[in-house]
Amino acid sequence: MGSALRLSIQVTLTATIFAAVLGLILGRLLARREFLGKSLLETAVLLPLVLPPSVVGYYLLLGLGERNPLFSWTNVSLLFTWQGAAFASGVVALPLMVQASKAAIANVNPALENAARVLGAGEGEVFFRITLPLAKRGILAGVVLAAARAFGEFGATLMVAGSIPGRTQTVPLAIYDAVQAGRYGDANALVLLTTTLAFFSLLVVRQLERPRRPPNAIAPGTSPETGG
Amino acid sequence: MTPRIAIDIEKNYGAFHLHVALTAEPGVLVLFGASGAGKTTILNAIAGLVRPDRGTIRVGEETWFSRGRPEPAIDVPARIRRVGYVMQDYALFPHMTALENVRFPLRRDPAGETTARTLLDRVSMGHLAERRPAQLSGGQQQRVAIARALAGNSRVLLLDEPFGALDAPVRERLQRDLRLLQRAMDLIIVLVTHRLEDAFAMGDVIAVLRAGSLEQVGPIADVFHRPATRGVAEIMGIRNLLRARVCAVAATTTLDWNGMTLEAPADPGLEAGAEVTAYVRPDDVKIVYPNRPISPQVAHNLLEATILASRQNASVRILRIKLPNESEIEVRFPALSYGEMTLEPGETVRVAIRREGIVLLGHLA
Repeated sequence: MGSALRLSIQVTLTATIFAAVLGLILGRLLARREFLGKSLLETAVLLPLVLPPSVVGYYLLLGLGERNPLFSWTNVSLLFTWQGAAFASGVVALPLMVQASKAAIANVNPALENAARVLGAGEGEVFFRITLPLAKRGILAGVVLAAARAFGEFGATLMVAGSIPGRTQTVPLAIYDAVQAGRYGDANALVLLTTTLAFFSLLVVRQLERPRRPPNAIAPGTSPETGG
Repeated sequence: MTPRIAIDIEKNYGAFHLHVALTAEPGVLVLFGASGAGKTTILNAIAGLVRPDRGTIRVGEETWFSRGRPEPAIDVPARIRRVGYVMQDYALFPHMTALENVRFPLRRDPAGETTARTLLDRVSMGHLAERRPAQLSGGQQQRVAIARALAGNSRVLLLDEPFGALDAPVRERLQRDLRLLQRAMDLIIVLVTHRLEDAFAMGDVIAVLRAGSLEQVGPIADVFHRPATRGVAEIMGIRNLLRARVCAVAATTTLDWNGMTLEAPADPGLEAGAEVTAYVRPDDVKIVYPNRPISPQVAHNLLEATILASRQNASVRILRIKLPNESEIEVRFPALSYGEMTLEPGETVRVAIRREGIVLLGHLA
């Protein structure tokens, strides 16, 4: 049981980092660039949100398996490893991160980014000093959601990594296993833990998404001070 | 030496076609026109934020942009051009203080902090350096935006509707300060506005734009007095233009307009004897009922006038009248006003020109 929790944390952290980095890149691309096939890409990225986890898992099985040219060449397979579980969780969590960061970045006034460019900033500086700080609440909400989703991943992980206790058996898989084996004490403890985590994640997301003061609004003359 | 800017650009946006050729030298070039005429697009093209379809942008010996010419295509990125640009609504970074905003273009310059503070002092914002934009008024934000635009050390300063949100005293002070800055730093300022008063207060040269093309370019007084086309006169909203001599300056300004005395609002910048350009707002000429007492608000500039012409649409009636000094002016009022009077051509009426309706433009020598 303890090993399942430790493994879940490891898998969730790795999956979240993967989803956060890739999701931020894709979110910015979708929010700020126009290119051919943009809506196709967006749809493809969102697919794991609606596909049955077993289907996502099956694709990953094909992609990560030994028939995959990359892995037959490097002779490294992610199947039935915790890294495989992390990858599966990351792919399933990715759409949430992409959507959150896309919305947050689209919400940043592009004139501010242009102002930074005119002031001599390159694209990296524009992103890290203007876009990211102004979109950080929405992006953070996306990271928390993605982490919660990655933590709860079941189907795709099962397909790719199996349910090997101590190696690939994360908390959701351990719950299933415990119920199957009639160990209801274990199941109850893990269910309670998972529910608590999920509840607080959503609470945090709600706090982050609640608009305090619109951070990008430019409203001249809104201060109580008189001009001059 | 400050170089000059020469642009010749074309840009298509669906039905809208922009094609302008312009040069700007140290001083203030005003881009004037209604919204949608392409003014901001020109600024964005100079700054490197909009890529024209064809044309060239040159600053001194440097070419910033060239496309569709025999020479190889050039498009220097905005971050290399580094013009000073005060955008509409200022585009201050909301998550940074005034000081951090001004520091932004100075990067890792070790003297950046000092330079930024000096610039903030220069626009009288030193005492509010630690405030965020949301804690500043419109006029204060505008000052910070100007300081930030100057921090890049550019000789080119682009200003997009910089006086839009400001009330009159703040606007006048900023205009004065900007003129001083322009002279002190020998800047090329390109200013976008749709307000005639701002154009006159700031401009040396005016370029009148309509629907993406230049209608007329020239020294502001020339364009104003001799609009090349009826279109220019309309864009500039010129009605009832007059030149007069200042007789006396007190609580009000007394003008002599071709032998006729007019009372205009006070203007501390004026001296007796000066020649001024002014115009009478057509809405501020009131017809006086012959048999009623005159309300104090219109008890100035009472004149006898002859109606020359009258036309009317659903909501507005426009009269052309001749004043005692033989000048003709236009009068506008809601179509239903003065119901008891016929106001047909040939009639003589008494009119009152509201003092505030006489707008004094730049003080031309």
